[in-house]
Amino acid sequence: MRRDGLGEALRGAPIAIPDDAEERGLRVVEAAYAEREAPARSRLESRRPLPRLALALALATLLAALLLSPAGAAVRDWVDDAFTASTPKPEPTLAEIPGGGRLLVESAAGPWVVQPDGSRRLLGGYEEATWSPHGLFVAAADGRTLSAVEPDGTPRWSFTAPARVADPRWAPSPGERIAYRSGRALRVIAGDGTGERALAPQTAPIAPAWSPFGDPSLAYVSAAGALRIVDSESGERLAAAPGLPEIAEMEWGAGGTAILETSPRALRLRQVRAGKLSPGPALDAGRMLAVPPGADLVDAALAPRRQAVAAVLTHWRDAGTSSSVVVYGPAGGRQRLLTVPGSLGEVAWSPDGERLLVAWPYANQWLFLPVGKGQGRAVANVSNAFAPGGGVASFPRVEGWCCRP
Amino acid sequence: MAELYSLHWRRAYRAAYLVVHDAAAAEDVAQDAFLAAVDALDRFDRRRPFAPWLHRIVVNRALDWARRESLRRRVAREESVFEPLPPPEEVGGEMIAALKELPAEQRAVVVLRHLLEYTPGEIASMLDLPRGTVNSRLRRGLDRLRTAAEAEVAMEERR
Repeated sequence: MRRDGLGEALRGAPIAIPDDAEERGLRVVEAAYAEREAPARSRLESRRPLPRLALALALATLLAALLLSPAGAAVRDWVDDAFTASTPKPEPTLAEIPGGGRLLVESAAGPWVVQPDGSRRLLGGYEEATWSPHGLFVAAADGRTLSAVEPDGTPRWSFTAPARVADPRWAPSPGERIAYRSGRALRVIAGDGTGERALAPQTAPIAPAWSPFGDPSLAYVSAAGALRIVDSESGERLAAAPGLPEIAEMEWGAGGTAILETSPRALRLRQVRAGKLSPGPALDAGRMLAVPPGADLVDAALAPRRQAVAAVLTHWRDAGTSSSVVVYGPAGGRQRLLTVPGSLGEVAWSPDGERLLVAWPYANQWLFLPVGKGQGRAVANVSNAFAPGGGVASFPRVEGWCCRP
Repeated sequence: MAELYSLHWRRAYRAAYLVVHDAAAAEDVAQDAFLAAVDALDRFDRRRPFAPWLHRIVVNRALDWARRESLRRRVAREESVFEPLPPPEEVGGEMIAALKELPAEQRAVVVLRHLLEYTPGEIASMLDLPRGTVNSRLRRGLDRLRTAAEAEVAMEERR
C-alpha cells in the first residue's frame, strides 16, 4: 500500500461524528478556560507582602533542618508518635454503634442493616446495596435487577435493567432519583421505580456521585476517564475536567463543595463552585493530597460536612507491612490517627463527621476512631457476626453509615 | 481558546476515532485532551506548535481507552451472560474496517504516521517508546492493512 494513499484514505474516510459534538465540547472547554483564568487572577491579587512570606520560609527552613538532622530524627519520630494512638482494647461484640446511626454492611451472604443497638438483619441475597437519604430504604442490586427494599428486608419495587446492575447511588434528600451503572451505560430511575432511562452510553466502572444538595446534578467518570457533571433531568453536561490517571473512586461531599478523586497512589480534591458561564456547578483544577512515597492508598473518604479526607495507607517496608489512618485537614495539614501492623480495609465517616469506622480484617475487628478528642473503640469477631447460622464467613465490607438527623 | 479549538478539534476527533473506533469515546477523548491542555497551559512553551502537544495527549488517551475497553470486553465475556451485544458499526469505509482489526498499539502509530504525518522519531517521543518499536509496529500494521486490501481486491475481481 502506498503511504500517501493510506494518508488520503484516513483523511477522507467517512467517520461518525455525534450531532453537536464539536459545539458541545467547545462549551465545556471554554467554561474550563474561563474558570481557570479567574482564580489565576485572584491568586495574583491576593499575594501576601514579602516580609510575611520570608518569615514563613525562614521558619520552614529551620523546621526542615531540625527534622533532617541526626538529632532531629528523634523529633520526627515524636511528631509521628504524637498522633499515633494505640489500638483500643476490643469489645467482644458490637453492642452499640459508637456515636449512633445505622450501618449498611455487605457480606458474602448479602447486605445487612446494623441498628444503633448492634442488632443486625440480612436483607437478602443481593450483590450490593446503598442507603436512601434518610435510611428509610435500601437500593439493592442483583444481576440485572435493581430493587428498593425496606431496612427490615421487605421489597418495595424491582426493575429489570438492560444489563447487569452495579454501583446504585440514591440521590440525597428528597431522594427523588437513583443512578446506577448497567453494562457500560449510566442510567437513572425515580425513587419510586418509575421513569427509568439512560443518561450516558458509556462510563468507567466507577460509582457515580450525586450533588449533596439534592438537585439533579450527577458526577460520573466517562469511559475515557474524564470527570463530568450532568443534569440528570435534561442530560445537559454542566461541567467536565480530566480525571485523575487510574482513577478508581470518586465522591462528592464536604457539604457539596468538593469532589474527591482517588487512585491507587494519588488523591485529588477539586472545589465545586457556582459556574461563571452557567448556573450549574464548575470544577477547579484541584489540589493533590500527598501520599507518602512507598505507600499504597487502600481507601479514602470525604467528610460529610467539611473538606477533610480520611485515608487508609499501607506502607511496604522490609521490616514488615504496616497501615495507617490519616486525616487530611481543610487547611492542608495531616493528622495520623493510628498505625497498626498488617493491612487495614475501608474507611467510612460517621454521619456527623466526628469519627471514623476503619475495617481491620487482619485482626477481625472494626475500629471506631474519634477524629478530635476522645477514646477510640474496637469491636472484635466482626466476620462471625455476619455469618448466617453462625458458620464461617469472610470479613464484611462497610458500604455506608447512615444517617445525619 | 475558541479559535484554537476550532482549528484543531476535527483532526483531534478523527485521530481519536481511528484509534478507538467509537464515536462517543472519540468525543470524550478529544474533549478530555482539550481540557488537559487548558489545565496545563501554564506549563506549555508557547513558542512551540500546539498541534503535536495536543496530538500526543489525544493518541495516548485514546490508547488508554482502547486498552481499558479490551480488558472490559474480556472480563465481560468471562463474567456476564447479560452483557448486551456491542452497537452496530457506525462507519463505512474498507480502510477503517481494516484499521479496526489491528491491535490498538499498531492503530495508534499508523494514525500518527499517516493521518497526522509525524516521523517515527517524533512518534517514539510522543508515545514514550523506542524508535525501533515504533518502526516494527508500523511495519506490522501496514503489512496487515496491505493484506486486507489485497484480499478485498481479489474478492472484487471474483465477483
